[in-house]
Formats: sequence, C-alpha cells, structure tokens
Amino acid sequence: MSGKPENEDLRVGVFVCHCGLNIAGVVNVKEVVEYAKTLLNVVFAIDNRYTCSDPGQEEIRKAVKEHRLNRVVVAACSPRMHEPTFRRCVAEAGLNPYLFEMANIREHCSWCHPSTPKEATEKAKEIVKMAVAKARLLRPLEPIEVPVASTALVVGGGVAGINAALELAEMGFKVYLLEKNESIGGHMAQLDKTFPTLDCSICILGPKMVDVARHPNIEIISFADLLSVEGYIGNFKVRIRKNPRYVLEEKCTGCGECLPACPIEYPNDWDMNLGVRKAISVPFPQAVPLVYRINRDYCIECYKCIDACGPRQAINFDQKPKEIELKVGTIIVATGYDIYLPEEGNLYGYGKYGNVITSLEFERLILAAGPTGGHVVRASDGKMPKVVAFVQCVGSRDVNKYPYCSNFCCMYTLKHTIQLKEHYGNDIEVYVFYMDMRSNFKGYEEFYYRAREMGVNFIRGRVSKVIEDPETKNLIIHAEDTLLGEPIELEAELVVLATAAIPNKGIEEAARILNVTRGTDGFFMESHPKLKPLDTPVDGIFLAGACQGPKDIPYSVSQGCGAAARAATILSKPSVKIEPIISVVDPEKCRNTKVKCGICATKCPYGAIKAEPGMPAQVIPAMCHGCGTCVAECPADAITQMHFTDAQIFAQIEAALENNPEDKILGFCCNWCAYAGADLAGTSRFEYPPNVRIIKTMCSGRIDRDFVLEAFRRGAGMVLIGACHLPYDCHYIDGNWKMKARMEALAKALEKMGLTPDRFRIEYISAAEGSKFAQVVREMAEKLRDMGRERVIAENEKLRPYLERMLGRKR
Amino acid sequence: MPVKILKIEDGSAFILERVMYTKRYTLYLDRNKCVGCDLCIVACPKEAVKIVNPSDLADIENPPRKITVKVLDDKCNFCGICSEICIFGAFKQSVNDEEFIPVLKSESFPEVIHEVEVNESKCPTGCKVCEEACPLSLIKVKWNGESGGKVNVEIDRDHCPVCRICEVKCPYNAIHTRKIISGLIRVNIDLCPEGCRACVDACPIPNVLSISNDGKVNVNDSFCVYCGACKNACPVEGAIDLRRISVHHTPVKSGAWNKALERLTSTENMAKELRSKSIFKTYESVKKLHVRSRVSK
Repeated sequence: MSGKPENEDLRVGVFVCHCGLNIAGVVNVKEVVEYAKTLLNVVFAIDNRYTCSDPGQEEIRKAVKEHRLNRVVVAACSPRMHEPTFRRCVAEAGLNPYLFEMANIREHCSWCHPSTPKEATEKAKEIVKMAVAKARLLRPLEPIEVPVASTALVVGGGVAGINAALELAEMGFKVYLLEKNESIGGHMAQLDKTFPTLDCSICILGPKMVDVARHPNIEIISFADLLSVEGYIGNFKVRIRKNPRYVLEEKCTGCGECLPACPIEYPNDWDMNLGVRKAISVPFPQAVPLVYRINRDYCIECYKCIDACGPRQAINFDQKPKEIELKVGTIIVATGYDIYLPEEGNLYGYGKYGNVITSLEFERLILAAGPTGGHVVRASDGKMPKVVAFVQCVGSRDVNKYPYCSNFCCMYTLKHTIQLKEHYGNDIEVYVFYMDMRSNFKGYEEFYYRAREMGVNFIRGRVSKVIEDPETKNLIIHAEDTLLGEPIELEAELVVLATAAIPNKGIEEAARILNVTRGTDGFFMESHPKLKPLDTPVDGIFLAGACQGPKDIPYSVSQGCGAAARAATILSKPSVKIEPIISVVDPEKCRNTKVKCGICATKCPYGAIKAEPGMPAQVIPAMCHGCGTCVAECPADAITQMHFTDAQIFAQIEAALENNPEDKILGFCCNWCAYAGADLAGTSRFEYPPNVRIIKTMCSGRIDRDFVLEAFRRGAGMVLIGACHLPYDCHYIDGNWKMKARMEALAKALEKMGLTPDRFRIEYISAAEGSKFAQVVREMAEKLRDMGRERVIAENEKLRPYLERMLGRKR
Repeated sequence: MPVKILKIEDGSAFILERVMYTKRYTLYLDRNKCVGCDLCIVACPKEAVKIVNPSDLADIENPPRKITVKVLDDKCNFCGICSEICIFGAFKQSVNDEEFIPVLKSESFPEVIHEVEVNESKCPTGCKVCEEACPLSLIKVKWNGESGGKVNVEIDRDHCPVCRICEVKCPYNAIHTRKIISGLIRVNIDLCPEGCRACVDACPIPNVLSISNDGKVNVNDSFCVYCGACKNACPVEGAIDLRRISVHHTPVKSGAWNKALERLTSTENMAKELRSKSIFKTYESVKKLHVRSRVSK
C-alpha cells in the first residue's frame, strides 16, 4: 500500500449518509451525490440511509473493490464520532486507513441549519468538496506501535475508585490508588445508612476498604497530591507528592495510644466540623490505611505522643514531603464531588442560625459513631427537635447557582425522614419541602411510598425564606404550597438543607494536570454521553463516579467496574497503536544545518525535537504528540505534520473559497475544543448562519500564518481561529499560547496593511461551549453583512499584492 | 458546618470562643488584670498572642487605656498555655463553661507555682500589714474574736505574681515566698529620653521602677516579677535589659515547655534545666541500682 507511486491514478469514492432524517431531513442528499460525481478524481459516489450500519460499511468495502477506489470520503457525522469506525472499514477493504477522510455534514451542517435547507445543501456540497480536496493529497501512514506499561493509576479512593482498583487488581494488574485525604472511603464512609435498603454504609464499605489494603496488587498512596502527568496512552509518567504525616506509615500500628496523650483538639472536617479530633489522630476509626497523622497547624510539639508511642518509634517530626514517580499504562479518574455549603449569603440562614444544617451534617448527627452519639439534637440547646423540616434542591436546579439536578438528594432525604420516624416515631413531625420527588431506580419509588406511609408530610413548593425566632431559636419557614396554591408558614425546630453536589474543590487543577475537559456544570466531560460515558478525550484516561456528575452508590460502583474494564482493554495488550500524525523534518530544508535556528525545539511542548548545532532538527516519534506547533513555527517550512500537511490544508482552503469567497467565514478549529464546540452546537441544535466553513487541525498551535494569508488572498470574507481556553485548557500543554503570540502579531500586521480588524477573529471556545460557537458565528456573519460584499472585495484587492508577496515562497 | 469563631472585645475583656455543635471553647482575657507584659506572647507556641497599643483599639467600645494583648482567632488552638503562664492570672480558658487547661492535663506544660506561704500561728490579732502592703490587693486578713482568736490570711494565689512585698513588709516574719521568675533587670539610663516615664507607669508593682531626683529611672530589683511590661512600654530599643533565668514550676517532660522556656529565658538556661533534670534522673537511677545491689547482697 505504502509502496504506491506518487503519481498514482487517483480514484476517490464519496459516500453520503442520510443518517435517517438527521441529514436528509435538511440536506438534499441526492443533489450532494450528483455534485460529488463532478469533482476531480471522484469515480464513484452514492448515498446510503445509514453508512455506519453494517450494510452501509459493506457497501464501502464492496465499492472499494469494484471501483478500485484508493481514497474514500464519507460525508456523515463528526469525525470525532465515527472516524475510527470508517477507518477500520476501509482497512478491512484492504486500503490504508489513513486514505480515508470524513466530511462533517451533520453536526456542522444539517443540525445547525434546519431552517435554510437550500443553503445547507450548498454548504454540504462544499464540505464534501473540501474533504475530497484533502483526500486527494492523503498519503498512506502506518500506526506507531508503543509498548504498554501494564500498571494503572486510580485517582481518588472513594467507592468508585475502590471498585475500579479492586477489579483491575483482580484481573492481575498492578494498581496504584491515589487518595488526597488520609483515608480512602470518600463520601460513602461518612454516611450512616444507604438507601433504599437502610444497611449501614461503613459496614458494607469497610470490608471493601480492607480488601483494597490487603490486596497484593494494590498500593495505596494516601495523603498525597497529583503533581503532573506526562506521556500518552500506555506510557503515562505520573509525579505524586506524598505529604508528611509525621508518623511513619511502616511503623504505625494504629494502636491509638498516642491519642489520649495529645492535649490539642481541632475541628474534624470529616465530621463536617461538628466534632473534634486530636492533633495526632485518624479522621475516623475505620480509616484505611490506619496510620495516624500529626496536624502541624495545631500541634504544639510537646512530644507527649513520642513518649506514648514508645519503642514503636513511629513518630518522626522531621518527615519531609516525598515525591514519587510512577509509570502507568492507564489512569482512572474518580475524584468525586463536594457538597455545596451555602455559607455565602447565609442561604436559608445556614451559617447564621445554628439550627439550620446540611444533609451531610445531619448524616454525621444520626450516625451512632458521630459526635453526638447518634442523637439528633439542636446546636442551640442540645435538645431533640420535635419538628424537623427538610428543604430540597438547595443550590441545585437553581439557574443562579447550579442548574443541574444533584441526582441523589431526594433519595437521601427520604432515607433521613424514614430514619427519624424509625428512631422517634410519633414524637417527631417531619416535613419535606420539594420541587419534584425523583425516585427513579430499582426500589426507590417503593421507598418513597414507605416514607409517606410512615407519616412524613410532603409539601410541594420552594422555600422562600427561613427566619429564626430569637427566643426559642426555632425556625419559621415561608414557602408556597404549589398544590394548594397558597403561601404557608411552618415553625420547625431543625431545618435540614439538601444542598447541591458540586465539582470537587481540586477539579480545576486535576483537569489541568490530566488535560481532561470539563463541562459547563464544572464536572469532567465524557467523550460521548451515550457510547463513551467512561472515556475522556485523552486516550488511556477514563472516568468513574461522581467526578463526571452526581451519582449514587450503585451507579458509582458500576462505573468503577466499567472504567476498570475499559482500562483493561489497554492493559491486557503488550502494545498499543498510536496515531502516526507526527511531525517529520525535511533535512534538506532545515536551516539548522547552516545557522543556529532550533526554533522548533524550543517551541515543542513535549521536548520531542532535538536540534543540535550543524545538524538538521530531529523529531523523536514516540515523544511527538502530533500537535503540529513546530510545523507552524518553522521559518523554513521544513517540517510537515503527517495527515495535516500544508498542501492538504491549502487544498481545503482553496476548495472552501472557490465560489463567493467574500461571503464566507473560514474557521480553523482545534480538534479538542473549538471543533468539538462546533460539534456541540450541532448536537444542541443551535442555529447559526450557514456561511461558515471549518478546517480541523489537531491543535490551534498548528494554524500557520500562511493559512490565514492564503485565506485572505483567496478573498475570504472573514477568518476565525478557534482554540482551547487559556491558560491551561490546551490539549498539548500550551499550543494555544503559541497560536496567540503568532496570530496577535499577524493581526497587527494585517491591520496595518488595511484589513478591517473585525475580519480576523481569535476565539477561545471549549468543547462544552456550543452556544458560544454559534454566537461567535452569528456575530461574525452579522458584521460581514454590515460591511457589504463590495467593501470586502475592495479591501481584498488592496491586500492581494502584499499577500502574494508574503506567500511567494509557497509556490 | 463552618466553625464559628466569636470574638468579643472591649477595654475590660477580650473573649475568643470556638463554638461547635458539641463543644464550646472559651478563652477569656480580663484586661483589667492584664498588665501588658510579654509572657503569653513569648510562651504561645502558635504565635497567636499579639501586643496591642491603646491607639490600635481606639474604635472599640470603652477602649483600654494601657498596653494589652489580643489573641488571633485564626492561630489560637485553645491549648491553654497563655492561661497557665500568665502570672497575673488574666487569662481563663474553659470548655463548655468549665475551666479546663488541656496542656496541664496531659502534662504538656507545667503548673507555674505561685509560692506564698503564711505561718498564721505567728500572726498577732489586729495586724493587717500584709493586706495593706499587697499592691494588687490579693490578701485578706481575718480573725475571729477581738483578741486571741485564730488569724486567717487568705491569699488569691492564682492572681498573685509573687512580688514578695508582703514577705518583706511582714514584721513577724510569718510569710515565706519564692519568686515565680528569677532574673535580672537593668535600665540603661543613658538611652532614656528626657522626661520619659513610660516604664514606671507600666510596671504593675510599685517602687520597682521610680524616677530619682535627677530625673533618671531607678531600678529596685528585689520586688521585680520580670514580666516585661516595662520593656513593652519603653519607646527606646535596648534601654531596658531584662533577662529571665528560671521559672518556678512543677516538673514535666515536654517539648512544648522546653521551647517556651527557651523563648522566655535563653537557650543556655533551658539547657541548664534539661541538664539538672538529667542529673536528677541519673541520680535516681543510680540510687535504684544501689538499693537493688544491696538487696541482692
């Protein structure tokens, strides 16, 4: 395949997909097929209802053989969706998989232009034309095979992480379980009972935690922080900092004799600060690993613990933070969630009135091992409340705070009401103020019935305010009963707020280190909401549990096991194939042989290029991530990125701007953020003007100045560059920064030459910002309309001589 | 639940409270008793006690008229060291309204001994010399019956810095005291600004510091309690040289105490105490060995 001559006879086949009515409902598919047949080197074109289905793929394989096709273009959905599918299909037909190109006429066309079918059809034709233009220049490539380290890292030791680690360990893989707190267990270890079975939480989790500690294949790295992750699938290099406990893990037996010797107590955040712990202590008795820790923020260094520890000599005040480096094949992220504390603004009096608590605090109160010994009492007088009111959806389903539903609050509130009724029977009145009761899993609805049968009062309506009676410290709740349609007032002795589950405090940092995208809700975003719910856009990194969105225990457990299975698909093989879209230096053209250049080496975010004096620069293939930043930076055009060559992108630009260029917006979007954002705009059916054409690069760092110059030389109306958000969102560390420096300088130069600044725009659009992408295009189209064709054409005429000169070396 | 820290402050008191669901920690400072010395500031292991000048507190209600201290709410961990080291008994630390000093219970800090003993059998009825002599009015002399009755001398030891004035003034040699802190104090009168009497006004014990006829500061070491209030008040760096040598306390083995002692006195004096402790220990163990060998013989 790769041995074919350069001047081979090009035979392109185009397959246009209806996608049911998803595409065909807007775009005239037959017309697109007929148009495709007229394109240069296209020898075959056909439409299909579902190209991705078995018969659809069979048709491609058949056509490749019958028509001796050597380039295949499928016009269907986003390449982010089905590119791997069709590459496999093409390979089965005996063609090199990299001789395949996709035209995105669903997410980028039919879905976002439903009310302008004519223009959408024209756009679809041009997208196909661009794809054919690129396809004609495609070269066969061989995937690079790299060995896989058969170890895994699980970040986060909650119930999801514990299950992921146990499953992988049982399959025989070495697992490192990283936990930032002193003990594994996560939020589940803080709970009293679990719904709907009311079995004790720590009684079912505790044995699992012990299993983790005892498993020969699992190494728990607790009280440690993730510092950095480098590398790629199968070969991640992870740096971790173990924070000092001042108690030696290998010597501490967990006997607890130091505990009574210590004079200092401080608020225990494990108990939601309801109770206290000693300066040397464990957060809870079932902690795993059962190793004590000295909190030096509070310790007064009396060294009484050293005396108490005696000959075990487990205490060492000189312990320093320790950095360790691991090599792992895959990473499972299970960092969990946090509970929203509405301290700011004292929502419903929380933080101001002592008798207003959150559900997690209630959990610690009703827990027999909790600070009150399982007695539900009020903070103000230590007495048992006679009337308890639960307020649902505090912070969640609130457009001003967290618009999403936090998933498990309805159920844990039902659990709390049933627990109260079981403990205190008719001595206690229980009210629940709710918007909707959501009990949609196995046994949950029955649980709701049970609460109602036990005499819990459910009031449908949102609470407007809670006011404290300064005498009795009782709380007067103002709400509207929407079923009766009238305002009500209730005096309660204790108010429990079911607050939102929110992204973990450290999630921003974790997202930066792992290079995993977050959604608008702040949680990690999965690769595909339906088909890849556990994958991240980074190959080899998977998600489990509530770090992707609030989840209850059974769901988190399933995800933990699922992520383990996904990770095992990589770990079980000796090697993995990575995309050969790397950079290659042409030693003939490289200036480094004559002058001291080395720009590529300094710009490479991964240090994958070596530029020794007098020698042409050299790319180390296994280290190259394929961002293409060096290609755009090379002053001699000596570097080429495979599958994203200058020639291919120039051909796409030419195809896009052949007809009526001054009416068009040409967008260069990076694969991970802006292109995915444009996909999301389509998926979300955000409509925007159809005069935008998008060219995909892997990273915005690949976008060469010449691309922009060429676009304007060919008369483009506007040029848009879409990149990941600054400072940390770039999938290739800092390609977006390189693009920014390059393009801001170019924008100034273009302005000097006479380009209206509005015609060249740089935007940072994340994969979650479909609405922003649509908005940006709408704004640009409006400005273009305001300017008018004549002005654009006149301006382009004026610019052309400069641009031709600047691009002179290209031809 | 956010940890609630309450701070109530005025000229006569400073109260810091950590209110939790099950426990309430209170640190109470009686600013009328606080003399503005630096014992608590130096002893605090978390550097949570800071000195405040009256001008810093001008905006609070009924501001104090002299130098005093405050406790930083983000640093205090309610260990109780300040309350033990204050020889004037100005601090009171309690948990759930019961007086409780955690570091004493765990022997992480020694009890500071306020040693004032009265041999009441020597006291004649009708004598109130000590009561009148006490500069802090901590002594109450009572007797039953006009003459010949039993004399009862009540001393508020918790608030007594043991200045020894009562002992010296007692005409019947009935009082025995031992200073809590021993040390040295010198005033470099060459550095004294003209007409300054800040140290004299700050000193809680009368006649320790006085202005002599030539307008210079005069020191009478015998009643000094080495609290350091004069040094805090002195506007000139180095004019007052105060060195503490030892603190009279119950024996403890504690790193926190060693460090506090080092800061209160000096590294040498702390080392000296450690050495005497180890000599005592060696002596004890040798004695034990000796006894054992005699028994075995």
